[in-house]
Amino acid sequence: MMMKAPVGGAKHQLLPSCSALALLAALALPMQAQAAGTRAGSTISNTASASFDNGAGTQTVDSNRVDLLVDELLDVTVDSSDPADVPTTPGATSQVLTFAVTNNGNGVENFGLSTIANAGGDNYDPVVTQLYIDNGDGVFDAGTDTLYTPGANDPALNPDQSVTVFVLATTPGTVVDGNRGIVSLVAAARTGTGAPGTSFAGQGEGGGDAVVGSTGADGQDAGAYVVSAATVTLVKSATVTNSLGTTDPIPGASITYTIVATVAGSGSVSGLAITDNIPADTSYVPGSITLGGSGLSDAADADAGNYNGTRINVALGTVAGGQTRTVSFRTTIQ
Amino acid sequence: MRTALFLLVAAFVPGQALAANQVALDNNVFVERVSTDAAGKQRILLEEPKVVVPGDRLVFVLNYRNAGAQPADKFVITNPLPAAVRFADAGDARSLVSVDGGKQWGLLSDLTVPMTDGTRRAAQPADVTHIRWAFQKPIPVGGTGKLMFRGVVK
Repeated sequence: MMMKAPVGGAKHQLLPSCSALALLAALALPMQAQAAGTRAGSTISNTASASFDNGAGTQTVDSNRVDLLVDELLDVTVDSSDPADVPTTPGATSQVLTFAVTNNGNGVENFGLSTIANAGGDNYDPVVTQLYIDNGDGVFDAGTDTLYTPGANDPALNPDQSVTVFVLATTPGTVVDGNRGIVSLVAAARTGTGAPGTSFAGQGEGGGDAVVGSTGADGQDAGAYVVSAATVTLVKSATVTNSLGTTDPIPGASITYTIVATVAGSGSVSGLAITDNIPADTSYVPGSITLGGSGLSDAADADAGNYNGTRINVALGTVAGGQTRTVSFRTTIQ
Repeated sequence: MRTALFLLVAAFVPGQALAANQVALDNNVFVERVSTDAAGKQRILLEEPKVVVPGDRLVFVLNYRNAGAQPADKFVITNPLPAAVRFADAGDARSLVSVDGGKQWGLLSDLTVPMTDGTRRAAQPADVTHIRWAFQKPIPVGGTGKLMFRGVVK
């Protein structure tokens, strides 16, 4: 059938009326989301004017005015702010993921926050303990940021405003090096969520309706932890030398102990120290501690090694995965 | 389609004549609502909106009628674009637009916009501030017509 144009036919029209709607349909573009836009509650007014000469000079007439109330569009996006997986270690607490929540709607809106840690696609489920609302500096600080309580202090965001949200989680003690754990932060408009176009009568800012936008009025994004652990393996060996030129452990023979510490994994160990008691019936050979072949003094001083009368100790500090440290010392059989 | 037809019929009611001995100019605004039927086919309905949201596509329709006793010569219709509406396109190529608040007029393709560095760039639909139709021939007594343009709620 041929549809009638919205308004009557014309003798002087510039547009063929019969094809008006077809033209509109052909030119129509898909609806698209856009940031914020005209503020909810504002009015769009349109008036046209015509001027002409009817023989009595130039006349001007105005059209009727059409007023359109702008409703509140509910739209929100969540974006992970971490450039890469956040390293963690087995059993670690308060490990921080960072997200940005942005109000893409055109009215002020409160957003409820929640997390999903068991969606799969990873090796383990981080245990989310708290959410914090950033104080604006973008850096997590439990002393200055605000602990989030759902429903009590949902962030209220103006159009186009963003807030940084920190997710704190505990890493289970059972995870191993290289495991990934994903946590998604979800933000949902408190006015309501649903299919795009869903309307909440009278609940929009400025007295209009609130209408769900293309995001469904909720959004989420995933952040991830990766376990970066390291393990230490110690291997100790002993070599005996004596005055006879044999390897028999006779009195007066010298024993050289060698301890090799091997660190494996993608992480590193910190505060690594090697301590070994001097065995009974042997006596420590003063000044015999070495680290990587270089001698260390017996005194507890600036270098890494010391001997306190009963044991040697070598502080290795932080050692990254894939590295080894070799410590040796000598004793004499009494 | 029944709903659409009903709305269109409702919109058919002519606007009020502003003065019996003058030209009447009637202004209607419709919004394009896209719906998808069960077969996944998109349909576009024109509705008379009471409310709109950012991103809505609006169709502005202007109807004129020479209700006076004399032909209307040098007939010009001007519609300043509401600040919250971004111009999209006009229903015909002969409309003139302004991108500087109504000082200069021309075809959109002939207009330019100053840049901060002193150069000028070609005008885009989003730059349009006014749209105008200037008629070459007088509108005879009783003559009517319809003009349209489209915009998007910012």
